[in-house]
Amino acid sequence: MFQYLNGTQRKKMKIKLTWKIWLLIIILSLSLVSIFVTPNFLQKGVLITNVEINSTSFEQGLRQGQILKSIDGNLVETLDDYYDYIQKKFPSEENIKTILGTNKGEFISYSKNAPEITLSEYSLTNIKTGLDLAGGSRALIQAKDKQLTSEEVNDLVAITNNRFNVYGISDVKVRSVSDLTGKNFMLIEIAGATREDLKKLISEQGKFEAKIKEEIVFTGGDKDISSVVRSGHESGIYSCVPSSEGHHCNFRFTVYLSENAAKRHAEITDKLGVNSTPQGNYLSEKLDLYLDDKLVSSLLISEGLKGRVTTQIQISGSSSGTTRDEAIKNAEEEMKQLQTVLITGSLPFKLEIVKLDTISPTLGKEFIKTILLAGLVALLAISLVVFFRYKKFKSSMALLLTSVSEIIIILGIASLIRWDLDLPSIAGILAAIGTGIDSQIIVLDEAKSLFLNIKQRMKRAFAIILGAYFTALAALIPLYWAVAGLFKGFAITTIIGITVGVLITRPAFADMIKRIEE
Amino acid sequence: MIIILSAGSSVAESLPSKQMTRVRIPTGAFLNMEEKKLKKIGKFHDKYYKYLLLIPLLLLVFSFIYMGFFYSQNNDFIYKDISLTGGTSVTINGDLDSGELKQFLSDKLENLNVKEIYDIITRKQIAVILETKTDGEMTKQILEDYLGYELNSENSSFEFTGSTLGESFYKQLLIAILFAFLFMAIVVFIIFRTAVPSLAVITSAFLDILMTLVVINLLGMHMSAAGMMAFLMLIGYSVDTDILLTTRVLKRDEGSLNRRIFGAFKTGTTMTLTSLLAIIFALFVVSSFSSLLTQIFTILAIGLGFDLFNTWIINVSILKWYAKKKNEN
Repeated sequence: MFQYLNGTQRKKMKIKLTWKIWLLIIILSLSLVSIFVTPNFLQKGVLITNVEINSTSFEQGLRQGQILKSIDGNLVETLDDYYDYIQKKFPSEENIKTILGTNKGEFISYSKNAPEITLSEYSLTNIKTGLDLAGGSRALIQAKDKQLTSEEVNDLVAITNNRFNVYGISDVKVRSVSDLTGKNFMLIEIAGATREDLKKLISEQGKFEAKIKEEIVFTGGDKDISSVVRSGHESGIYSCVPSSEGHHCNFRFTVYLSENAAKRHAEITDKLGVNSTPQGNYLSEKLDLYLDDKLVSSLLISEGLKGRVTTQIQISGSSSGTTRDEAIKNAEEEMKQLQTVLITGSLPFKLEIVKLDTISPTLGKEFIKTILLAGLVALLAISLVVFFRYKKFKSSMALLLTSVSEIIIILGIASLIRWDLDLPSIAGILAAIGTGIDSQIIVLDEAKSLFLNIKQRMKRAFAIILGAYFTALAALIPLYWAVAGLFKGFAITTIIGITVGVLITRPAFADMIKRIEE
Repeated sequence: MIIILSAGSSVAESLPSKQMTRVRIPTGAFLNMEEKKLKKIGKFHDKYYKYLLLIPLLLLVFSFIYMGFFYSQNNDFIYKDISLTGGTSVTINGDLDSGELKQFLSDKLENLNVKEIYDIITRKQIAVILETKTDGEMTKQILEDYLGYELNSENSSFEFTGSTLGESFYKQLLIAILFAFLFMAIVVFIIFRTAVPSLAVITSAFLDILMTLVVINLLGMHMSAAGMMAFLMLIGYSVDTDILLTTRVLKRDEGSLNRRIFGAFKTGTTMTLTSLLAIIFALFVVSSFSSLLTQIFTILAIGLGFDLFNTWIINVSILKWYAKKKNEN
């Protein structure tokens, strides 16, 4: 009917691009780049998601995150390429050679069985899904019968991180979280690990042992270590000097041992010989530090400690860097790392798993499919109402396009800040889009007003939109801290969405409508 | 006829002046028709709007009595699911008979609840979900004994929440909703700077929540942590239309009061109906698959339904009353 225009009129009505519309186009393009230009963009191969610890491949240096490009010289471009080949080759009667070509070089193994690795095709986008969609394990840990202070939680997080490193589990996030009641927790999220792995790792603080040869000198826990000094003048960097590599900084800190540990230390060191080096005289054996039975560090023992019963030992070390600041930073890190190892097992509390989720990755895909379909259907419903109500093709299209671009920008920002989209985040996107459409309807209706000129009308529309924006923002803030941050995603995506709406998409939409109406 | 239906607005409004020549029917006729209709409705509303407030008042009294009764019975405002009481939710992939599972395991797993989920397109069953108050380890053991195979991350998902944590989550979500409401109220006061209109907005949002809560409880729905999040969304949606209405009525001076209310009504109902329809459509898609999203969407749908009622009966009546009083002074 009358809203369909002939050719010349269409030309006249052609939307002129204002700077607000240009801004939207630019942000939209950047979002698309942020979503789709991945580090593996245009790379061929499959992603190694897990390498069995202690397997030959692992010992050779094959790690998760590397990209498998070939096997025995045959190109691997899809998962089928790999598995078809492997199925024909294994199992074999005797050890046979396999060459895995990756982006980090070739790894050769001899085995009767297929390499113990898990693969996946790497994602085509930078959008990361949260644990509840991608699968994995998540645990919320607190102390048994005790409120953890934020310092204690930070120690616990450092210790746990150390132990995950020792085990070679890298795709893990350990952080401290607190909730509205001020309780502190440790939150662990692991992409691949199984429930049992996780439980074993986190049901205790870990085991620390200091050994000379095979003899235990002291272990973690207050039985042997009274305290590790981590601040004040008994701990820190005491000198920095220029060196051939740039700068060199020395740190030291004091560890207090129990009487028993001090005696044991004296007995064991008494038997050792003394080596002379240009840096000084040291005992013939080193003090080896073990974390969960794995060697993490070896310390030279100075001559003066031989056979001496002392409850106070000083540990010193050094680190270098190209600049003085870098050297200081490295030394501090190294000191902290050593201190963390030494306090492992010493924290005065037992751990309790208060939440443990292990999510199978299988259903995640179904879930995403469902959500996409639901989103599409919802958009269809919105189109129906909007077309029916306004009967204006251009305005309605502009409304829908604005909403779609809001989704894209939210996803773009989520990719940029590496936010894992979990279910609460997706609910948040829905909420943001919903309020976005509400605002656009306000713009459309204000534009039709008989009073004032179009510019003033838009100004009035924005007075309402801003009011709605600030109330929504205020309502979301408490959620950021509630339930140990598990629903943070909802607050984050909604806040991103409505802010993008107010700053970018809605002003652009208003300009589009202005042009259409004029 | 089409024209009136289309936008509910007059032809002169919806057409740029250049195109006026294209309309063959004299516009005055329509303008008059709509003007007459509007005046008639306006007159009716002017006469009865105070009485209209009686309906929500009755509902409010009923809601309070019901919630008071509910609280005395259950010592709480809602029925909570395991995400708020503590317990385990297990998803076992595959085509398992939920009835059989429930029959055999009910006496072993505390408060067992079993449901099946289906692929939305093929309608094939893809998993069963069990919810129980028994803890994770024990549940796993019992299920493995019954099924005769190991449950691992390939074939199942476990979500365990300790009971203290669940209760703490519940309290925090209540606090979050309370504060959200409070912050929203503060912002509303800052925007309008007058007591009555601000209170009208806040009352309407409060009633949306209260009435939705009553319906949820009447339906016997067990609320999850995610479901409580839906109430936060509801606050946001509910206030949108109220702010629109209050701004149009109080901060504008063109046209009659009724005309401004009617204009806001058209815009506001379009907003709410769009959201409502989108949610109902989405609800239809997710209902066989995700109980979490189903709950969020159900709460929103009920809440938006009440929002239509609360905004356009309570809020409008209070505002009209207020605006008329202000004019008289």
